[in-house]
Amino acid sequence: MPDNRMTAGAPARAARAPRRAPSELTFNPDRDLIESYAAAEPDWLAADRRAALARFDELPTESNQLYTPYIDLRAADLGNVRAYPEPAGAPDPARPESASPRGAAAFADFDEDRVAGLVVDDAARAAGVTVDTLDGLIGRDPETARRLLTDGETLPADDRIAQLTRAGWNQGVVIRVPDRVRLDRPIVVRWSAGAAGTALLTRTIVELGDGASASVVEELGRSAAAAGAAAGSGQALFTSTLEIRVGRGAELAVASIQDFGPDHIVFQHRRATVGEEGKLHWALAQLGGRLVRSRVDNRLEGDRSSVEQVEIVFGANEQLHDLTSYTRHVGRDTTGNLLSKGVLLDAARTYLKGMIVIEKSAVGTDSFLGEFGMNLSRKARSVAIPSLEIDQPDCRRAAHSSSVGPIDEAQLFYLETRGIPPDDARKFIVLGFLEPVVARVPLEGERDRLRELLEAKWDAGIARAAAA
Amino acid sequence: MTATREIVTDRREEFAFHDDIVYLRETKRGLTRETVEEISGFKEEPDWMLQLRLRAYDHFLQRPMPTWTDGLDRIDFDKIVYYRKPSEREEKSWDDVPDQIKATFERLGIPEAERKFLAGVGAQYDSEVVYHSVREELSKIGVVFMGMDQGLKEYPDIVRKYFGTVVPAEDNKFSALNSAVWSGGSFVYVPKGVEVPLPLQAYFRINGENTGQFERTLIVVDEGAKVHYIEGCTAPIYATDSLHAAVVEVVALPGSKVRYTTIQNWSNDVYNLVTKRAHAYENATVEWIDANTGSRKTVKFPSIYLRGPNATADIISVAVAGKGQHQDTGAKAIHLAPNTRSRIVSKSVSKDGGRATYRGQLKVSPGATNVVASVRCDALMLDDISRSDTYPYIDIQEDDTTMTHEATVGKVSADQVFYLMSRGLTENEATNLIVQGFLEVFTKELPMEYAIEFNRLVKLEMEGSLG
Repeated sequence: MPDNRMTAGAPARAARAPRRAPSELTFNPDRDLIESYAAAEPDWLAADRRAALARFDELPTESNQLYTPYIDLRAADLGNVRAYPEPAGAPDPARPESASPRGAAAFADFDEDRVAGLVVDDAARAAGVTVDTLDGLIGRDPETARRLLTDGETLPADDRIAQLTRAGWNQGVVIRVPDRVRLDRPIVVRWSAGAAGTALLTRTIVELGDGASASVVEELGRSAAAAGAAAGSGQALFTSTLEIRVGRGAELAVASIQDFGPDHIVFQHRRATVGEEGKLHWALAQLGGRLVRSRVDNRLEGDRSSVEQVEIVFGANEQLHDLTSYTRHVGRDTTGNLLSKGVLLDAARTYLKGMIVIEKSAVGTDSFLGEFGMNLSRKARSVAIPSLEIDQPDCRRAAHSSSVGPIDEAQLFYLETRGIPPDDARKFIVLGFLEPVVARVPLEGERDRLRELLEAKWDAGIARAAAA
Repeated sequence: MTATREIVTDRREEFAFHDDIVYLRETKRGLTRETVEEISGFKEEPDWMLQLRLRAYDHFLQRPMPTWTDGLDRIDFDKIVYYRKPSEREEKSWDDVPDQIKATFERLGIPEAERKFLAGVGAQYDSEVVYHSVREELSKIGVVFMGMDQGLKEYPDIVRKYFGTVVPAEDNKFSALNSAVWSGGSFVYVPKGVEVPLPLQAYFRINGENTGQFERTLIVVDEGAKVHYIEGCTAPIYATDSLHAAVVEVVALPGSKVRYTTIQNWSNDVYNLVTKRAHAYENATVEWIDANTGSRKTVKFPSIYLRGPNATADIISVAVAGKGQHQDTGAKAIHLAPNTRSRIVSKSVSKDGGRATYRGQLKVSPGATNVVASVRCDALMLDDISRSDTYPYIDIQEDDTTMTHEATVGKVSADQVFYLMSRGLTENEATNLIVQGFLEVFTKELPMEYAIEFNRLVKLEMEGSLG
């Protein structure tokens, strides 16, 4: 399935970039820098970085042959991007720490290579909840750090870019909630990044003990340095992980709002293992970035475990959001409910790749995957590849469904009969289409912020269309 | 009671034999540039065809073996005989066919079938059409139905105009192989406005250990014409792997209607790697009705390129994967023009450790406005040692496409089996009935005789698994 379309409809055709294979990763890990990290770290960690680098060298950028026709990294030009050599491992005592968002139980705030804040409120601290930088945890509790980093299960072994992060990470945060602690207020992790020419390679680890419950909000946005820079001053790279363990009977909700700048190249890996009767909820919103390649791996290991994943993409201009989601049913009577929705303006592209695997042991699985797109521009392109691989037919349900269509004329007509002007009606329908993620964000302030971001993006798109 | 029914009911063992045919001509095992030249020379082909073959051969060598489906690396191209000609010329009359070959076809029931309802018969014995007849009335209305080699001789202009335009040699490794060494297959031309009243039907058959089968079919249906072409296969069983790499090209000119029905039942040692594609022009309708029950491995995705406004594509793909089989099948609908419609329905059954894979593509290209498309794939798994995969690719590059896709995988419902058993059916009969019902979307599109055959074939497969 050849793909010879490139940046269709580019407003002004810049000087042609050198011809590259779509799978070519232009970022070269700085091997000396990684060795310098390794030299200062415990042996097990140095070995882990070197093993990851060896994997990185062996692997193709996309190891799943199903998806090789739909990989396109040509928008990334990372040859001059350099990893921050030595990001801080703790807040700078000389500067005031940033304040926790209202209603949060804990807050980790990263601004480029600084730790701008790291707070756990008294109630959470008393319950045993800990939030450490990865550096901090290695210093404070090396045995736990070792267990969390080196069990080999938390990042996909076949993924080249995940192995890049494992080899070269220069920042990280670890959230741990002990057994039976039920935290009713969310933990907020904020990453502000995007200064031209920089790379931040990060890992986020979340561990919920048996019977615990918690929610995490991940905010990904542009730093002051990135926001202040002139457009086109250079790309930046952000790689991140979310390495999640949900214990027996535990319940975790993760909401992520990604609104990086237009020159940001973003690679995300999220991998969760869910124990017996554990529950995991994802609400993921992708708005920003020039090129975003994200992968989620859900592993339903325990009997009766479940995952609910709702993901939205709102693309505009020439953004490419390349999102893959793997859900592997291993235990008995597990439930997977996955929904991806995309709205595309301008020459935006989304690739939605979903894979459900039902292993032979997974008797009684209920698994559904839905991928729905709205192309609102003739130059937009939406690709959906919802796949199933099934070794156990004794399922409650194994299905996927997908649709692409314009704004529903009947809905539009209905709203207009109620006196709503057509432009507003369109906006309501589109924002309503994306609402399932907004509604799942646990913090009111974050919910409002996401709604505002979506609305602003819509308004900007309309303004561009009017100007054109 | 017809002989055609018996082919697929309970006589397959009889076909697991090897006829000691004296081949009049054959190439040496293995594929070289000389083999390609030799084949073209045997056939006294025009130079352009030789050049096409040689270009295809070069491409075949350069093209890497596909790795997105497994097991193809087992094919040993050096062990295959690329061309065999069992009799000297194409026969017009049944009486002229050599006795030994005739005996084989008698077993396959061809004369019987012909007398019953066939408009024409093209039977393929190894690599050449040896028996061929076109009914008088078809000739009268100008319909051409003959072997591809003969077509190249008698209708060089039509063949040259369309050959390789729907499936270029460079399309994939196996279309390159076919283009280099093709032999046999059918050539059909239906003139403007002609509706062919009865289905055109061809039987194909592989014989000879390690004989490759590279038939090439070209169907050109002129404006406003209408035709139904039926292809069915049986093959004798051998221990070593056989390769079947066919190419089928269909050109549906404006306003025409083409239906192409296949029941593929190769023996379980055959690699069946087929490229089937149609171009549908303005207001044309193309339908692929495709069933795969045989072969060790089938890789086949009947495709329709909707090139003219208001063209319609309808694909029904059915696969049954039993022990040791992998049916890697599906469909592709590529929308290139406005107001085009497509529907894909896929049904697969996997059992006894078989693997059924649906792989499909639905693409709406820029400029193809107001497209309506639907894809539905359902899979039935009869046990937990089998496997079922679904890999649909949906690529939409317009803003007013209406596309829906649904897929489900399940097992035979215990409730349904229980209900049927309470009505006096055995468990086998109940399961068989449910599977037949599951596949009915396919069966009901077949001519009645074929529908009966197909249901018997499924029943046979089911008995093999349950008995």
